[in-house]
Amino acid sequence: MKQEWNQYDPGSFYDELIAAVHQPREASYKLVEYLRHLTPDRFRQCVQESEAVIREMGITFTVYSDAGNIDRAWPFDIIPRIIPAKEWDCTEMGLKQRIRALNMFIQDIYNGGQILKDGVMPADVVMQSKGYREACIGMTPPHGVWANICGSDLVRHSDGVLYVLEDNLRVPSGVAYMLENRNITKRVLPEIFNTLPIRPVSDYPAHLYEMLASLRPDLEDPTIALMTPGVYNSAYFEHAFLAQQAGLVLLEGADLTVCKDGYVYMKTIKGLERVDVIYRRIDDDFIDPEVFREDSMLGVPGIMRAWKEGKVAIANAPGCGVADDKVIYAYVPDMIRYYLGEEPTLPNVPTYVCRREEDRAYVLEHLAELVVKPANESGGYGMLVGPHSTPEKVEEFRALILENPNNYIAQPTLSLSVTPTSCETQVDVNDRRRASDPRNTIKIAPRHVDLRPFILSGKDIFVTPGGLTRVALVEGSLVVNSSQGGGSKDTWIVGDAAPEMSEEGEEA
Amino acid sequence: MLSRVAERVYWMARYLERAEKTARLINVHTALLMDLPGRMEINWFTLVRLFNAESLFRQHYDWATEANIMQFLIADPKNPSSLATSLANARENVRTSLDVLPEEIWEQANQIYLLMNESLPGIADRHKRQLFLREVMKHCQCIRGALDSHMSRDHSFDFMQIGKHLERADMSSRILEMTSLLLSEERSEMLRKYDGILWTNLLQALSARQMYLQHVHSRVEGQRVMLFLLTDEVFPGSVGYSLGAMARRMRYLPEPQLPIEVAQRVHEHLSTQDLSALPAERVHTLMDHLQGELGELHTAIATTWFYPDRSGQQQTQGLS
Repeated sequence: MKQEWNQYDPGSFYDELIAAVHQPREASYKLVEYLRHLTPDRFRQCVQESEAVIREMGITFTVYSDAGNIDRAWPFDIIPRIIPAKEWDCTEMGLKQRIRALNMFIQDIYNGGQILKDGVMPADVVMQSKGYREACIGMTPPHGVWANICGSDLVRHSDGVLYVLEDNLRVPSGVAYMLENRNITKRVLPEIFNTLPIRPVSDYPAHLYEMLASLRPDLEDPTIALMTPGVYNSAYFEHAFLAQQAGLVLLEGADLTVCKDGYVYMKTIKGLERVDVIYRRIDDDFIDPEVFREDSMLGVPGIMRAWKEGKVAIANAPGCGVADDKVIYAYVPDMIRYYLGEEPTLPNVPTYVCRREEDRAYVLEHLAELVVKPANESGGYGMLVGPHSTPEKVEEFRALILENPNNYIAQPTLSLSVTPTSCETQVDVNDRRRASDPRNTIKIAPRHVDLRPFILSGKDIFVTPGGLTRVALVEGSLVVNSSQGGGSKDTWIVGDAAPEMSEEGEEA
Repeated sequence: MLSRVAERVYWMARYLERAEKTARLINVHTALLMDLPGRMEINWFTLVRLFNAESLFRQHYDWATEANIMQFLIADPKNPSSLATSLANARENVRTSLDVLPEEIWEQANQIYLLMNESLPGIADRHKRQLFLREVMKHCQCIRGALDSHMSRDHSFDFMQIGKHLERADMSSRILEMTSLLLSEERSEMLRKYDGILWTNLLQALSARQMYLQHVHSRVEGQRVMLFLLTDEVFPGSVGYSLGAMARRMRYLPEPQLPIEVAQRVHEHLSTQDLSALPAERVHTLMDHLQGELGELHTAIATTWFYPDRSGQQQTQGLS
């Protein structure tokens, strides 16, 4: 693959593996050398093997469409993305700092709202957050922690700095794919693991279990369940996988009931058995038809009462979504300073809050250069990407912002970092002669990536080494969502690892 | 364990057993037809009758050709007892019970499902079909082996064993019923000559030939085969063995009185029949009855363990 690597050129973007043409970064040197020395045939074999493994391991995600739901094979690129351990240690500290502040914020909001009284942020920003739940006022969950599982999206700009793009605090998904990506890489590129100190990720399920168990410090051996909306949910694969790996009881709302004593029970062959901790993978809107959406068929009537009386722990705590809001995001650096008295380690993407007159004026003047996001949408819906939009679309957003400035923020258009990714070149499928020539079918090209590390907070805080790297497989595209042509990569934190952290020891 | 999970692993085991038995039955039947001269009462349609699926078949197909019947029995998703339906249901029940099953079960169930989707277009070809059916049997055995060696003998395991044995007994009774019908109908002299082959074929379809030969010490002969397959206490493919195994497993489960009673009643009923005096022609009545009783046994299992909130409405049967 020498030729393919020699031709590789990331252009003006920051590249995760390559410092300049022909020049791998220090942490990725061995990987790039290894891949360079593979023949195109061998490389193609690796790609095919990874596809076979994914099919056989049944790693899928569900795409909703008019024609019904389809399980698609998980799109995976075999070239790992590497982050040097030194940089990661700093990032990890920043993530811990951030989640501590976020949890203190949520705790504060439902218990007096000192931060609002002190004028650090305006009260109506909080009240307008879609995730704000009046039913949670006065509640203090175990350890004062609301967001037990957080998936923060990080992006690297052309300045080489990792920025926090958003914090997913409701029911973040993707960690199963992070684990499976490593499993696939181990099967497909086993030799490389001997030559590099790569931090293991395989103990995430154990940390998840520990964290969940720590939510009932009063119990020796709590019964812990993972509550899924069911087999038709797009993340069902992950729910089942995590339950299997962590040893949780996988159940649905219909398996649970709240009895007269106020505790939550599951319906077993022996009758009813108490459940002490619930890792819920459904939105809190649906969790209790008595309190939230009456039409929810997925929830358990009375479960909110049980939670408020401390008879069951729920992760993430209902109401924690209040901080999962694009406008509130803009205030996270202020929260860190307010609650912790520290400067934020990880920067936010510079954000213009349209409710501020000065910011709004700037945004309206520079709409065509900015990304505009509504407060409460996720998954890239309802957004304006200025540089890639038509003038009509820009005007449409101008009107929207003027009409409801409180609901919008704007950010500069980042130029997301890229990383070498294997791509199939366009080959005429009818031209068998060309298609059978491997040189025509595989090339290495730069593609944009982001990163979603997962942060567990219970008694302690744990950050996954790395996380899920998502990659936009379409040339030039910035959309990394798997439902829209995105794929993923294994993510390696390389170097300076203490010897006991080596993957080999882990697997023995 | 959750009632819903109990129900799913029970059905998973049933579908796996059904898939394996269906694959074996079709292969054995194909081999049998190669031994018989053409134009006999026994033909491809015999298999459709065995599954009580004559009217469903006629709804969807005009001719009872080998190709149509194989399509119907192996690949047709509209046929609830087709091999494809069984494998898809088995996989779906594995997919929704991952938390209680050893990891490789999912990979295995998935592999056979993928192989099936690749193979189905080619099953009109006898050679390809046989290879595919062999693969199905092999994978089903692999799954059972992995379950057997990696699973704790917990309630999940108990429910799988119960499901497996119930399905096995049911399939055996159907195959016995069919054979007895063939022998009882107004048979040509020609078919009578093939008695031995038919019964041998039956033993093979139930993977019972070797054990019959070793333990019965007699040539293959209808009455003895029947006795062996219905009442033998040590052969794990006999109906009697399955009933005993189910009752033993049920004792490990909470409040098992009702299902155990039913299983014992069926077992007793079977063992008090003087099978040696029963003309082959009457066997199908007995088998019919047996299938009804096995249905009752299923209901007893379901009401005892799968729907504990009996006030609630009837739930769906597993995932299908």
